[in-house]
Amino acid sequence: MRLLIIHSLAVLQLVFTSLGVESFAHQAELKPVERREAQIPINDFVLLDQSSQQFKFGQVAGRVVVVVFAYTTCPDVCPLLTAALRQVQSGLSQEERNKVFLLTITTDPEIDAPKILTSYAKRYGADLTNWSFLTGNPGELQKVWKNFGVGVKRKARGLVDHTPLTALVDRQGKMRIAYVGPAPDAKAVLKDVRALLAQ
Amino acid sequence: MQLIFGLLALFAFTGCGRNERMDLVYGERCANCHGVGGRGDGTLAAALPSPPPDFRETVQRKSNSQIRRIIAEGKGTMPAFDPALRPAEINDMLQMVRYLSREGRQLAWWEKYDTLIAAHCSIPWEAALGLDDPPEKKP
Repeated sequence: MRLLIIHSLAVLQLVFTSLGVESFAHQAELKPVERREAQIPINDFVLLDQSSQQFKFGQVAGRVVVVVFAYTTCPDVCPLLTAALRQVQSGLSQEERNKVFLLTITTDPEIDAPKILTSYAKRYGADLTNWSFLTGNPGELQKVWKNFGVGVKRKARGLVDHTPLTALVDRQGKMRIAYVGPAPDAKAVLKDVRALLAQ
Repeated sequence: MQLIFGLLALFAFTGCGRNERMDLVYGERCANCHGVGGRGDGTLAAALPSPPPDFRETVQRKSNSQIRRIIAEGKGTMPAFDPALRPAEINDMLQMVRYLSREGRQLAWWEKYDTLIAAHCSIPWEAALGLDDPPEKKP
């Protein structure tokens, strides 16, 4: 009887493996990154960081700021954007880290509470001494998205279409370079950061 | 009686074929990196710092609770889906991962039992056996 059961289980295990694979309609494409130069003043704003502390954009005035727009449950471009920003942070010398600040600004405040941003930062190994993850109320975030030219459209809970932007803001608070695309090359970003530091 | 119990247990713990809910959640949240067949060859996979695994090589070694934890809490660059998805959707994702891990075996003869399998799979076994939250209704 025991053998019969084992045999039956083994055969029935196979029943569940016979269906085919279909294609999906929601496949993201890995588009090339476009680099654009700009001269857009960034207005001061107040958001919340991953520790629930107020973060004023003015507090990083005088530094070059690398800004990425992403959200934690993003299943396509955001992991690439955040991984690239992590590479940028790793490429900075200790001296440069005092002059450069990194910001990840959420495009999904519905989900991205400070506690969730903390877990996200930890998973990517972010050094929070010069990198903050920001959220806030939707009204304030919309002003920030608009200032940077980021379009945001909610599709479902935890699923948001947004412009895949990595922006460089100079020491005078102007957005000078915009990389639009999912995987900016960290070396190219570092080169532009150093050029802005030299100005 | 033992045989019936064994078969029921197998059905409950082996999981079912795919359905539209599983396709939807997997297509929206997983396929870009893991690939439509779960082989780690999604359109974004090559650009990730570490490539996603082929489910056929890794999933069979993991328990349902281990897979569920990875889906819920994330791992490396993989998002944590717990804040965004309901338990029933995470369960659909888990079943899809299990399903794709068995892909590639040639078992056409058993396809004639599709009707029986479909009937079985319409039963929420984990909820019926008290192993998971019951599927939630969408608001």
